[in-house]
Amino acid sequence: MNKLAKFILRYRWVIIISVLLFTAFTGYQIKNMQINSDVISSLPDDDPDAVLLKKIAEQFGSSKMGMVILETDDIFKREILEHVQQITDTIRMMDGVISVTSLTNIIDIRGGDFGIEVGKLVDEYDLPSTEEELLALRERVFSKDLYKGGIVSEDGTATLIIFSLSEYADVRQVAKAVVKKTSAMKLPENLYYAGSPMMVTSIADLISADLTKLLPIAFLLIAVILASFFRTARGVILPLITVTIAIVWTLGIMVLTGFQMSMISNNIPIILLAVGSAYTIHVLNRINEMKDTDRRKAILRALIYIFIPVLLAAITTAIGFMSFIFGAYLEMIRDFGIFTSLGTFFAAFLSLFFTPALIAAFSIFRKKNIKQNKQAKRSLLTEYFLIPLKNLLIKHPKYTLTTWGALILISIIGIFLIKRSVDIQEYFKKDNPARTAENIMINKFGGSKPIFVVFRGDVQSPEVLNTIVKTSNYMKQSPDVLTTQSIAGLIMEINAALGEGKKIPDSQAKIEQLWWLLDGNEIMQTYVTEDLDEAIIISKFISPENKAKIEFAKYMETFIEENSSEACEIAITGMPFIDITMDRSLLRSQMGSLSIAIIMVIIFVGLILRSLKTGIFATIPIIAAIIMLFGVMGFSGIPLNIATVLVASVALGIGIDYSIHVISNVKHLMKTHNDDISHALEETIVISGKAIVINVISVSGGFLVLLFSEMVPLQYFGFLVALSMIGSGVGSLTLLPVILILDNRRMKKTKSSSS
Amino acid sequence: MKTIKRSIIHFSLSVLALLILTSGVKAQDAHNLLAKLDNIMFSPKDKQGKITIILISKTGKEKVREAEMFQKGRDKKLFRYTQPESQAGIATLSLPDGVMWLYMPAFGSPKKISLLAKSQAFTGTDFSYEDMATQPYAERFYPILVEIKEDAYVLELTPRTDKSSYSKVVVTQDKTNYFPIMMEYYDKGGRKFKEAIYQYEKIGNYWNAKEVIMRDLKKEHTTKILLTDIIFDQGLTDEFFTVDNLKPED
Repeated sequence: MNKLAKFILRYRWVIIISVLLFTAFTGYQIKNMQINSDVISSLPDDDPDAVLLKKIAEQFGSSKMGMVILETDDIFKREILEHVQQITDTIRMMDGVISVTSLTNIIDIRGGDFGIEVGKLVDEYDLPSTEEELLALRERVFSKDLYKGGIVSEDGTATLIIFSLSEYADVRQVAKAVVKKTSAMKLPENLYYAGSPMMVTSIADLISADLTKLLPIAFLLIAVILASFFRTARGVILPLITVTIAIVWTLGIMVLTGFQMSMISNNIPIILLAVGSAYTIHVLNRINEMKDTDRRKAILRALIYIFIPVLLAAITTAIGFMSFIFGAYLEMIRDFGIFTSLGTFFAAFLSLFFTPALIAAFSIFRKKNIKQNKQAKRSLLTEYFLIPLKNLLIKHPKYTLTTWGALILISIIGIFLIKRSVDIQEYFKKDNPARTAENIMINKFGGSKPIFVVFRGDVQSPEVLNTIVKTSNYMKQSPDVLTTQSIAGLIMEINAALGEGKKIPDSQAKIEQLWWLLDGNEIMQTYVTEDLDEAIIISKFISPENKAKIEFAKYMETFIEENSSEACEIAITGMPFIDITMDRSLLRSQMGSLSIAIIMVIIFVGLILRSLKTGIFATIPIIAAIIMLFGVMGFSGIPLNIATVLVASVALGIGIDYSIHVISNVKHLMKTHNDDISHALEETIVISGKAIVINVISVSGGFLVLLFSEMVPLQYFGFLVALSMIGSGVGSLTLLPVILILDNRRMKKTKSSSS
Repeated sequence: MKTIKRSIIHFSLSVLALLILTSGVKAQDAHNLLAKLDNIMFSPKDKQGKITIILISKTGKEKVREAEMFQKGRDKKLFRYTQPESQAGIATLSLPDGVMWLYMPAFGSPKKISLLAKSQAFTGTDFSYEDMATQPYAERFYPILVEIKEDAYVLELTPRTDKSSYSKVVVTQDKTNYFPIMMEYYDKGGRKFKEAIYQYEKIGNYWNAKEVIMRDLKKEHTTKILLTDIIFDQGLTDEFFTVDNLKPED
């Protein structure tokens, strides 16, 4: 250790320059950072539902389909139709848009004695204007599945303008242009934007808004906290520089290794800021406390003392983050685990190498007046909090234990009340336009969650088409499916127009010839593959409830089993199915990551403190805090979601440090105080107490910044981590000492009775 | 002083006159050129031959349709499909005023199809019904001569009606023989979105488009039309272009 410390001081300039060079290099990479806000693309490749959904989204272009929702009191008015047409024409002319479908240009096939009329639902050059014309249009719209619920809402108050983007289009650019140009029209109707491209863009916007808005707030907050504790410029600047470099390295390496910023990983900088600044604080604190007047010696001794504790803190924190690498359903959570743990190590590494090197190189050394300030501070905190606390604990250990026990029991009841949420809607704040658009889709267009049924076989055969019809009818019997669209529906429409009845023609020859009328129509690409070996039913699911989704999955499963054959293989997928798996995996990954984290921490801490029992003791306060965290979630209705599922393990990784701090201090002091636990604890609570309080304040302060996040799960995440930090801080200062006291008494008893 | 002023006025007037004159000439030329184009495209009394329609998707996948084609004058056309196998026997008869009859063997009797939407694509091709219109260009468009190239004229055609999906069509016309070399279609936003390239050959007295390649730039879809075995003026009668004749002669 001595050698290493000497090495750091000797090669300070080499360290500083290499750190700066690597920072410049990684910082340069960050400009290539890409945001991936596409939830579907983040679905894992080992879930068959997800794989099928991804394949369909690509093959049938649904991932490239966006829509403008126009909402008013009644769609069937001349001026409304004009506005729809205006939007349609504007979007059609935009770069990256292949086609637009709306009320004013959708195809319409009519049949009758006169033959077949192939045209548009409305004459685009002479929109309906008289009352009769408008009434006729209304009747026509509500008579066909393709229009009702597909392009006009059931109640006739909203209509969709659906557009497809080209394969090479810059999705976010087009989506933004659509919003910009349509809102510039200043139409009196309400416009909303939905569909995958719009959703992906909204989320990406929130991600970058969060990054640009939250990071400065977090910096400022941490700076204020640091300033109030250190009262020196270097006490503020050094931790911030160190942690900034760690953030730059982490993000740079993310780019270099080909990872993208997701809606989870965008909080990596803030987490690192909160967690990483602590390491430099430790190092600085230790250097400050060295009594040597020789700067070099002070740094050397401080380093020797602090090296292992900082490393341990980093390892335990990283364990918390790493627990996500195993057993997370979404790739973005795995990525988050990888890079937060990496960042934690960077922050620790920099605090141990770069910070001392800087201090040594630039002679930024403690000034005389710091001590006095610190002294004043210490007495304040000590006087009014730590000393009364210590007295209470030692006098009434059992009271403390009972209070904790009661709290934990109540929390356990709360655990059973925890809700789970995987609904993408819940990502947005209530007033977010994307969420409003989702609600309109649910309330007026029969849902926003796509369901796809795939049929593999000869698409032009009566068997396959009839199976599609049968499936559609079966699906529509579910309360959560309003409409279905498929090639079969279209074929039946044309067959009816030809005067052959609204059914699938009975011979393949007829179907193949009917096809001649449809060939090349844009809508075909959304229903069948180019090779005509696969067709899909496109539908939407209404209920956001997980129970309804599970019921529907079962309902469809039996049908598919009975009707799938070699000539027509049926498979189903869609967001409801993904949601079910995600929901299931939420629990599994919560249990998985938490138990991995607990076991690893116990083993690790046990090894460090050379006693498994102490390892277990150390984890008790944080486990208690986590149980209370779950209790709070249960009682307050904060759901377990892809962000809050991370809280427990993160809290464990960070919060365990407080216990380690307390236990190692007590052990150390007991040696010097003749095994007198009361004495050792008194001193520990006063000395470690201060460090823990500072750490709890700065870490939870950093996480609380996430309350300003645009994404609801991250707000919860920030709040809950902060809460757990306070919980585990308090736990390690109250519950842990009590456990140690009681254990000590028991040990003494067994010792005396055995002797 | 006065003389200078007067000469300036004179000069300006004459420049103005020249401008008016040349633009008049240009306008005259443009109308002439367009008439000549119409003449090339619609001059034979009748023609027949084999038409091959190749649809090429974005991924490069090709679909081939073949038909026997008969045409009399500008607006009577009969197509009888021979390929693909599954659609063989399908026949269409286009008559004046946008009336079209469709015969599908599997369904028996021919059906009348009214094509109400001109911007609609013609059964899977990149030609819209508007592109297939039988009305002469001169009646549908107002031409301006915008450029005279070494071997071609460039005409800018503006639709005479607002019921067009185009804001303009730019035609590059062969200088010696007046057939179109290229047509570029612009949307209402003034952006080019389709492009047709023509190859003409002389058969007898007539120029015939042996190949037309229409590309939809947005959809990245291409339609290639090949005309082979073309013969002209065989004396096709109006009786040939009747609904009864849609069914193949047994």
